[in-house]
Amino acid sequence: MQPLVERDYFTDYEILKDPYAFFEALREHGPIYQPPGRDYVVVTGFEETLEVLRNHDAFSAIIGLQGAAAPLPFTPHGHDITDQVEAHRQEFIGGNFVVNLDDTPHTNMRALINTLFTPSRLKANESYIRELSDQMVREAVANGGVEMIGTIATPFVTLVIADLLGVPQEDRRLFMDTIAKAPPPGNLDGQNEIAGENHPFVIMGSYFAGYIHDRRANPRGDILSELANATYPDGTKPELQDVVELGMFMFGAGQDTSAKLLGNAMKFIVTQPGLQDQLRADPKLIPAFLEEVLRIEGSTKQTARLARKDTRIGDVAIPAGTKVLVALSAANRDPARWSNPNELEIDRPKIKEHVAFGRGKHVCAGAPLARVEVRVILEKFFEHTARIALDASKHPNGVADLLYEPSFIIRGLAEMSLELSPAPGFSGRSDAPSAIPRAAAPVASGAVLSTRETKLGELLDDSAGRAVLDKHFPGMASDPQVAMAKGMTLRAMQAFAPAQFTDAALDAIDAELARLASAAVH
Amino acid sequence: MPALIVIDRSGVEHSLEAEPGHTVMETIRDAGFDDLLALCGGCCSCATCHVHVDPRFAGLLSAIGADESDLLDSSDHRDERSRLSCQLRVTPELSGLRVAIAAED
Repeated sequence: MQPLVERDYFTDYEILKDPYAFFEALREHGPIYQPPGRDYVVVTGFEETLEVLRNHDAFSAIIGLQGAAAPLPFTPHGHDITDQVEAHRQEFIGGNFVVNLDDTPHTNMRALINTLFTPSRLKANESYIRELSDQMVREAVANGGVEMIGTIATPFVTLVIADLLGVPQEDRRLFMDTIAKAPPPGNLDGQNEIAGENHPFVIMGSYFAGYIHDRRANPRGDILSELANATYPDGTKPELQDVVELGMFMFGAGQDTSAKLLGNAMKFIVTQPGLQDQLRADPKLIPAFLEEVLRIEGSTKQTARLARKDTRIGDVAIPAGTKVLVALSAANRDPARWSNPNELEIDRPKIKEHVAFGRGKHVCAGAPLARVEVRVILEKFFEHTARIALDASKHPNGVADLLYEPSFIIRGLAEMSLELSPAPGFSGRSDAPSAIPRAAAPVASGAVLSTRETKLGELLDDSAGRAVLDKHFPGMASDPQVAMAKGMTLRAMQAFAPAQFTDAALDAIDAELARLASAAVH
Repeated sequence: MPALIVIDRSGVEHSLEAEPGHTVMETIRDAGFDDLLALCGGCCSCATCHVHVDPRFAGLLSAIGADESDLLDSSDHRDERSRLSCQLRVTPELSGLRVAIAAED
């Protein structure tokens, strides 16, 4: 059989099952190693990982989303390729997303994010997180079991951030459904372009554009208003598009990782003897348990950097243009840093120094949120159950049957069916009003459509509204690009294309839409 | 550019150039100091960018926030000069600011 080190991390479904064994095989060749036939180096050492992640001067984050295996859009030349990277930034996947930015553009964007998940804000949000967790877990226990990833983990984290940001109730269902359908970032089949009318980033981007536009015109004291009206540290106002991309990124990228962290934690809970009894008896241990899950099986396996200047990692010379796979999951099991690295041990000294969230300027900004939401829902699982077990009818061979998301970035289960035995005195489903939004109701027939209130998608769904639109903007209704703006009102779209959407044209549409409504009433 | 004087844990003094608008934490971190963990990256969610500020600059600093104060309470080394350096933004008036990286908790 082909030696492990020669297999391709980016396409191999066996490595997907056990990436840890693959990285251990690489580690045998040293903490910094270029596998045979590859054009990137892999860092598996803990200290070496910190060295790369903290060296922002020599290493660019530009290849974070496309990964170390993807070819560069240019041929690097010279000892400092910083200018070449910037000249080609748009050609990299997600080149403008905060995770891929460098230097001052990154610092500016990060300043906007850093105020979002503060302890006081999370505390204010915790009652919603607790209520939502309570409802979801009670429902699952009342049913005797649940497929936890799709039914709980993914919608849960989506609704939590939607509530935190202030996404309107009526749009939350769409966000849930869109994210549920989306492939994880870092797809093994190479489908990682962030484009196309059905890409979740694109769909959510159109909604965000609408929110940000609205909050700039009518601020109302929520986080979206704060983001919409925030200024960079130098006092300048971000471009609308930059804020929209930030909002999209927070939804798109933060979701899988938090949801998968819950799945990975649950895998240990159902397999490690005695663990669930210990945590049920003393829920105060949950935060320490989660830190250890982050170390031993965090939901981000790796990230990537591009050397933009000649540099070194440890004693290895790294020329400018070298792509580096930073194996966070291997650094977190480096025996030089962690004793018994492959064992789950609650309460390791300095456990928070693991690199599951990265380190340095790109360290995960959503970490405080992930820690709160996963802790709270686990508390609810232990409160409402006497025992949690893997559903043997769905997974007859136990954890060996579990499938992982086909991603080179994400480590997380695609599905996990659980059997849930109720706690003594379990009182059944929650009586509280549901915190889980239902599918949006279609616009009532005869309702007044307008360029200010009606989203483009709703307008297109209404045959008369569609006809009015087609009359004033011929061809627009069938233009595939328009899908990207379905979440926006026409007035919001005006901010992006003022020459096309003139006040006169929009006023004329409003007048016709109003006539339609009064005709329907009479 | 405003200067920032940083005293590391071994007591050695370093002079850095600080970009206005960046935070003191970002300035120290980006200069490569291993002492300053700054684990949360500036979200005011951990206390690993704890510094002691020279009292001569106390009047020029932004007021301490509730989150920052709560987090500093988790440190055994908090004193009246304690701040989280991610909450201190560099301004021209702060040129010459002296901070000492606090002892590890």
